[in-house]
Amino acid sequence: MGCDVAVAGGDPDVVADVLERWESVFSLFRPESELCRVNRAEAQVAAVSPLFARALGVALDVAAETAGLVDPTLCGRWREIALAGRLLSRPPSLALDLNGVVKALAVDDAAGTLDAPGFVSVGGDLAVHGPVDVALPADGTVRVVSGGLATSGTASRGEHLVDAATGQPSESPWEQVTASGASCLAADVAAKASFLLGTRGPEWLDERGIAGRFVARDGMVVENDTWARSTREVPACT
Amino acid sequence: MATDSRIERARQRARTAKTAIGALALLVFGVAFVGAKAHAPGHAKGKAKPLGAPRSFERAVHRSVVQGGQIAPAVQPPPVASSTS
Repeated sequence: MGCDVAVAGGDPDVVADVLERWESVFSLFRPESELCRVNRAEAQVAAVSPLFARALGVALDVAAETAGLVDPTLCGRWREIALAGRLLSRPPSLALDLNGVVKALAVDDAAGTLDAPGFVSVGGDLAVHGPVDVALPADGTVRVVSGGLATSGTASRGEHLVDAATGQPSESPWEQVTASGASCLAADVAAKASFLLGTRGPEWLDERGIAGRFVARDGMVVENDTWARSTREVPACT
Repeated sequence: MATDSRIERARQRARTAKTAIGALALLVFGVAFVGAKAHAPGHAKGKAKPLGAPRSFERAVHRSVVQGGQIAPAVQPPPVASSTS
């Protein structure tokens, strides 16, 4: 997936096989991938594989859940996509980009193969199997007890997060947003959506009971209420 | 009188025949109706099911998308880092 992969608590070869399966279907850099073939197809209706249908279904759910902030069309036209079982219908010229959910889904899928406490991390997005301590951007640490943790932002790949409302790279005041989720997918979606929401991001996560940590462009760190509550040290009993 | 009696008997036979024909027609209609409902391809035998993903899957995904995870203060040197990729 073009990212660093770290595995603990499982067989790295098995994890690599799982990740390769997702990469072979959804890579935009492999012309033979199913996603590239679907995007090239001129027919309005196409039959897709079960894995493709599952990921696209999740992407459409995520788009609905985030009011289009995380959008598989990157241009606000996700409502024009219809999925019935394995049949996909969309305007032929409408290209799909499932990067918003695929990496996190692959991490969750790979974490399902772990047979001992540990984690799977792909490019810094991780799913845990048992508690794992994690280093955070701008000098911080946190223990992920269950679920996943993901960071989105512009620190590594520049302005790659697109605001679907404008079709332009986001002008978020944040450089990096880290969010905790019940899964890596949940964490990744929360991090992306709250990054794109800008100053409304911390409150949006609090409304959903999701912990988020925001690093501003000037290096200032902002924790939303849920994050601060969760990571507060409890004084030991004497 | 004899003529009246014959007419009356004829009317009685006609009434009986009409009743029999009506009952027979009703029976044929009933059998055809039940048969069509049970066998005709255009008639669904069971409750229609949606073509999309099962509800249980949709519920699981929905729960996962809106739910936060569980975090706590770190207690050990972290073996892994979360960062943008």
